[in-house]
Amino acid sequence: MNTMHATSQTTAKRRTTLTLPSESLAAAERIARARKVNLSTVIAEVINDGLRARRATERSGQVLKSYRQAFSRFTDAEMRLLDGVIMDEPLDR
Amino acid sequence: MVDPAFGPFLFDTSAESWLARSTDPAVRGWFEKYLKLHPVNVSAVTVLERMRGYALLLSRVANERRVQIAFARQAYLDALGTVWPIDAAVALVAAELVALLPQPPTPPKRAHRMAESRQERLARWRFDILIAATALVATLPLIHDNPEDFEAIRTAIEISPERFPDLGPLNLIRTLRLAG
Repeated sequence: MNTMHATSQTTAKRRTTLTLPSESLAAAERIARARKVNLSTVIAEVINDGLRARRATERSGQVLKSYRQAFSRFTDAEMRLLDGVIMDEPLDR
Repeated sequence: MVDPAFGPFLFDTSAESWLARSTDPAVRGWFEKYLKLHPVNVSAVTVLERMRGYALLLSRVANERRVQIAFARQAYLDALGTVWPIDAAVALVAAELVALLPQPPTPPKRAHRMAESRQERLARWRFDILIAATALVATLPLIHDNPEDFEAIRTAIEISPERFPDLGPLNLIRTLRLAG
């Protein structure tokens, strides 16, 4: 483990101390050197990407649950109605 | 197999519910993966068709089922991702399509002893045209389970590209191709 200082990349920045796995930190340093940006920028981007992915996963689980609730316990005829197919004309009239 | 990463896609009304209801593990997996990458994109017409369906069901069922249907309706609204409006561009494309294809390509649907009226079939056809026009304007592939209607629309666009300047082709993907 290495200890490092990181600055968050939001509009208001804050200095803090993080303890990170050495390998991850070395990889982040390599990326920062290659891109000619500072380490804080790379770490902030990685954190933002991770948070975005986590939010997307949480949101996708909620959406999936809502979708299943929206269409469960309906007969085929009822589902046709929900899909916009209205069959109200009796054929034997 | 269509990689969900190629999305986002626009979902036709029946395709959206087919994906949500499928018990096929491959389809469920596809939808789960898609939702982690993109919102479900639908036309405002899909919301209209769906809400009309819930409203009709609510007016037809016994009291004891009304709570379940109201709950399902709210769950649908909670799940909604990106809803594309019928704006001027969509209206212009849809107007061209309605002029080119005034009548639906297939007769009204039948099931058991009930059938769709001609009026309802025409309304559904025009809704499909609006959904296809939305996909064209949004440049999103359209996921559908209704090849009769949407292939007719795609062909009309291909035959008369001058009526759809800077648009097209209409990219169609059948639900059955998503995970299989």
